[in-house]
Amino acid sequence: MRLQYATNIRIVEMTCSGNIDHRVILNAFEEGADGVFVAGCMEGDCHFLKGNIRARKRVNAVKKLLDEIGIGGDRLEMYNLSSAQGGRFAEIANDITAKIKDLGPNPLFKNSSCCGCSCSKEGGDQ
Amino acid sequence: MIIAQQKQIKEIAAMVSDCKKVALIGCAGCVTVCLSGGEKETEIMAAALRIMRKLEGNPVETITFTATRQCDPEYVEALDGVVKDADAIISLACGVGVQYLAERFDKWVVPALDTNFIGGSKVHGVWEEKCGMCGDCVLHKTGGICPIIRCSKSILNGPCGGSQYGKCEISKDVDCAWQLIYDRMKSLGKLDKLMAIQPPKDWTKSRDGGPRRAVREDVMIG
Amino acid sequence: MVGAGIAGIQASLDLAESGYYVYLVESTTAIGGTMPMLDKTFPTNDCSMCILSPKLVECGRHLNIKILTSSDVQEVAGEPGNFNVKIRQRPRFVDANKCTGCGSCSEECPIKVDDEFNQDLGKRKAIYKLYAQAYPNAYAIDKAKCLRIKNPKACGKCLKACQADAINFEMAEETIDLNVGAIVLSPGFEKFDASALFYYGYGKFPNVLTSLEFERVLSASGPFQGHMVRPYDGKEPKKIAWIQCVGSRNTKEKHGYCSSVCCMYAIKEAVIAKEHSHEPLETTIFFMDMRTFGKGFEKYYDRARDEKGVRFVRSRIYEVTEKNDESKNLIIRYSNEDGTISTEEFDMVVLSVGLQPSKSVMELGEKLGLDMNQYGFADTQKLTGVNSSKPGIYVSGAFCGPKDIPETVMQASAAAGASASLLAESRGTKVTEKEYPAEKDVSGQDPRIGVFVCHCGVNIGSVVNVPGVVEMAKGLPNVVYSGEYLYVCSQDSQNTMRQIVEENGLNRVVVASCSPRTHKPLFQETMMEAGVNRYLFEMANIRDQCSWVHQNEPDKATEKAKDLVKMMVAKSALLSPIHQPSVDVTKAAMIIGGGVSGMNSALSLADQGYKVYLVEKADSLGGIARRIKQGFRGEDVQEYLAELIDKVKANSLIELFTGTEVQDVKGFVGNFKSTLSNGAQIQHGVVIIAIGGEEYLPTEYLYGKNNRVMTQLEMEEAMTAGDSRFDQAKNIVMIQCVGSREPERGYCSRVCCTKSIKLAIKAKDKNPDANVFILYRDIRSYGFFEDMYTEARRKGVIFIRYSVEQKPLVEEAGGKLMITVTDHVLGQPVVIEADILGLAAAKLASRDNKKMNSLFKVPLNEDGFFLEAHMKLRPVDFASEGIFMAGLAHGPKNLEENISQAKAAAGRAGVILSKSKLESHGVTAVVQPDKCAACLTCVRLCPYGAPKVRNYAAEIESVLCQGCGSCAGECPNKAITLQGYNDRMYMSMVNGLCKEVL
Repeated sequence: MRLQYATNIRIVEMTCSGNIDHRVILNAFEEGADGVFVAGCMEGDCHFLKGNIRARKRVNAVKKLLDEIGIGGDRLEMYNLSSAQGGRFAEIANDITAKIKDLGPNPLFKNSSCCGCSCSKEGGDQ
Repeated sequence: MIIAQQKQIKEIAAMVSDCKKVALIGCAGCVTVCLSGGEKETEIMAAALRIMRKLEGNPVETITFTATRQCDPEYVEALDGVVKDADAIISLACGVGVQYLAERFDKWVVPALDTNFIGGSKVHGVWEEKCGMCGDCVLHKTGGICPIIRCSKSILNGPCGGSQYGKCEISKDVDCAWQLIYDRMKSLGKLDKLMAIQPPKDWTKSRDGGPRRAVREDVMIG
Repeated sequence: MVGAGIAGIQASLDLAESGYYVYLVESTTAIGGTMPMLDKTFPTNDCSMCILSPKLVECGRHLNIKILTSSDVQEVAGEPGNFNVKIRQRPRFVDANKCTGCGSCSEECPIKVDDEFNQDLGKRKAIYKLYAQAYPNAYAIDKAKCLRIKNPKACGKCLKACQADAINFEMAEETIDLNVGAIVLSPGFEKFDASALFYYGYGKFPNVLTSLEFERVLSASGPFQGHMVRPYDGKEPKKIAWIQCVGSRNTKEKHGYCSSVCCMYAIKEAVIAKEHSHEPLETTIFFMDMRTFGKGFEKYYDRARDEKGVRFVRSRIYEVTEKNDESKNLIIRYSNEDGTISTEEFDMVVLSVGLQPSKSVMELGEKLGLDMNQYGFADTQKLTGVNSSKPGIYVSGAFCGPKDIPETVMQASAAAGASASLLAESRGTKVTEKEYPAEKDVSGQDPRIGVFVCHCGVNIGSVVNVPGVVEMAKGLPNVVYSGEYLYVCSQDSQNTMRQIVEENGLNRVVVASCSPRTHKPLFQETMMEAGVNRYLFEMANIRDQCSWVHQNEPDKATEKAKDLVKMMVAKSALLSPIHQPSVDVTKAAMIIGGGVSGMNSALSLADQGYKVYLVEKADSLGGIARRIKQGFRGEDVQEYLAELIDKVKANSLIELFTGTEVQDVKGFVGNFKSTLSNGAQIQHGVVIIAIGGEEYLPTEYLYGKNNRVMTQLEMEEAMTAGDSRFDQAKNIVMIQCVGSREPERGYCSRVCCTKSIKLAIKAKDKNPDANVFILYRDIRSYGFFEDMYTEARRKGVIFIRYSVEQKPLVEEAGGKLMITVTDHVLGQPVVIEADILGLAAAKLASRDNKKMNSLFKVPLNEDGFFLEAHMKLRPVDFASEGIFMAGLAHGPKNLEENISQAKAAAGRAGVILSKSKLESHGVTAVVQPDKCAACLTCVRLCPYGAPKVRNYAAEIESVLCQGCGSCAGECPNKAITLQGYNDRMYMSMVNGLCKEVL
């Protein structure tokens, strides 16, 4: 579809969003990501039956933790979309970029933003 | 198993606020099974702590390691090298583990968990208290349901007046243990056994006798 | 295999995986059929393309499936086991082997034509790919539209654009002769041409769309990128109407049959449209009978009505007219159920067009001399599910009647099973297996990474600075080679890659190019040819994620491309070879349930040459069919059953255990060990559960209290036994939906409407003077059963609709049975003195389903029926591999459908049994047992039943593991890792990304 979207997203491919570990998300922030979004299949439509449900629970737990430790849970989001929704992916990419820009750079790297990127975990090709 | 839950990260951070290098020690025993102190949780906590401290402008270095158990001296001794350079240790074990670490290491040792009770899992993610550790088991008299811990009053000769519709008066969500005992004995056809009056319980075998010790001469080595 | 829709693809895969060579003949330029055009699929709202896409890739790349696109069958001669088939292949003008699918040609092509894939709502070029995910991933030239074909001196822009040298205007039509043992026909359907019905205004009014057009409007890959707008003016509609039965249930148009799928797809479209709409959208479905008879359909209907606010109007449409203003809105004039007439304005009308056989499909049937029914669909031989009138030629999908995707897939697997039975002797004789050189041992070696960066013609190179990416990669840790290629995927580049891997002793390769979905398997094959484990390969998608989506920001696209390469290099350094363990397969099946389904499965597998243990709880075979006298097409069921039982008993490969139950099961796919109640121990590789169902014993309508009241089955038994009450009856009444479509049993029992109609006709034939009443909620005589409904009305059977709020009242008064029902037209109560009251009682799941649930850990749905692995595409598989289901235990179905499903289960089971070894999926989770706390987290969360705790630690059965890694994500002591995708890799990727490169 070749829809244009914000350039500052880097995708880490996973077999299923259900594979995401809290530590991997925290690591992304420690390494310098300004935001992380986890993309899973539509709910009820997980290729592996329930992985995306597990992912959402974990993401919610990490959001809470991020709030507690001062990074801010709103730098992390989970989205459900299908691999046919290229348009939706672009929309999300732009939305989250705008949102993260509003929030400003990763507070851990306030002075020397390492790469200024947001990372999205798990995604196919759109 | 022992059921423990994590303290708030802020509370833990406050305990080590003046330390520059902290060892977080997980335990691969009960607390791994109840999902509060295994390698995963240990590393999450370490990352969270590092992030918090960096944001405070007071960065901290972390070391993580998950011990096979924290309640046996050999496993604790094996941590010597791990905690060598740390100026504080956070234990993600039950209260037993924390104390073993504190005994072994001449360092500031703090608990990351609140040790709640001994129990088991109902479904994944829900644990229930099942044993009061009274030191004098009566489960054979009560159809396998513990009146010491599952009855809010720990009474031994039938329900109190607060039992209503099978529930305990403290909460609608708590079953009356004596109702459960009655139902169970009835279904087993052993209601007559409940007719025996239980004499006052010897609580010296429980906490009333002070800290307890168990000894088995026959297995002692050396 | 003729026709490469989902039926053709499924049957091809089943057969190719069972040791048969398959020719898949498709008349368009790509496989896929209708499914890729659909947006979502009911009742799960799965994205159609997403679920189909993996099958396209698997089918497209299968070594033992030869796909012939742009091809039609010309002639068939010969006999079962030895057919000669003449195929005509039209020229594509593009060499599919050379074409990389990059699309540069299409961008240059000056000719825009209506895109038939998008129902002409959008445009494509004269050189085109049918749809984005199409296989072959190659373009084709539309002969009728291409300038150069018309005039060899003209245009030729595509020739210049194509850097792969794939375009060839010299291509000519070819004739291909095939020799095959069996033929499966699944050429599909076409949609009814709605312009034939002038009163709906299709073709005249721009805001009247067909349902398939509306699918394309909704589709994210459609002409409006999923923005739900009117094609006419691009405005978002606020009020949409669906008109049902357009070209169905219409005897005037010689389309007397019900198209079976339209009710569900209309509800789905209404629900999805509401989701797409930015403002509240009003949706109305105008219908005659709501036919949500399939598994999970009734609840979907309930939810649409009660929760999503879709409005349903029982009505007859007179006409659709256009409003006389700029809005071009539409006015529908219709009569309500009570005969009153209403008009209503909508800004879009969607016509739920029916399914019909295309002309070419009918011609194919004629050419092959098959029996076709009056509507031009292929006739299946009675109670065979898949046999055409010609031996050795099987049929599946909408070719033999309108049907939805799961039934199509089921029938396709059944046709595959039937073909495998026919050709059992030649199994494995025509297939080839690819040989690879021995794998090099890279253990202990430091990573030596090669980076291959692709220009993809101009697709990447025109935006991303490819030489810059190559240079950057050279500076990355462990990278010993970095180079650029016009097309990494071309044959010569692949040869070069193999050489470079060998010369440089590379033990990891990263290709920076396009989508791993289409190209990863190709590169992995090259790795294997170079003697390197294929899991030491990674891809960075710098086309779809860089050049295509950041076309106007080349610097940033290049920066991102560099980052993606850094990440993949960082990851690949941590890769280890993955070796796929395999297990032996016990070539025997255990089938539980000796009813019609179980026996058909047993015979089919035995015919394929496998040992079968057939376990039946009752003392005799036959199941519930023993109580059925006549099939829906007039078959003598008892005669059929007797023959079937004889065949089963006579088959030396079938070992029968009657009066026996399964007590214990151990093991997993390929290696089950079961203990039966008689103490017998059996070993088997697969299980088919076909334990049937039962008829609900009503508590309502005086059942059991008055001897004139009986269930459907009892009524049939009584009629067959010559119960004289039927001959003397003045009034025979039947009540539908007894115990079905109720809160406590929220599903439709599917077969009862047709059964009641059948019984009504029989009663009427026997005693023409009797009044026969059917009291119903919706008549659900789907497919060709609609003809029977028409016949019943012609014969004077009286149909009275009752509403669920006002059910019929059945009373005993003075020894008489009095039934009061409120007539839907008159709105007045009608009192009938009934001599016989038949109750269409619900069809229930067997109580033993629960037992199977705990024995095999197989899931049940909320109604107690077995839950399949995937509602659409795996209709007979359980999520746990090697276990299959068939018959009523899966859901209510008629005998013919159960037979088809039984053969499908046997077909699917045969795929496993045909293999001597089962290989695990490459990417699986593994346990480090010394770290495992045996906490059961993995055991509890795995939907496939792969982990078990054994010897105080979890073990993951690699053959069962599907590689999602949910267990690895959750494991509290990180004892589990997913091979090729572990946390260390993810962390290293992010680290590699954020680290500055020197």
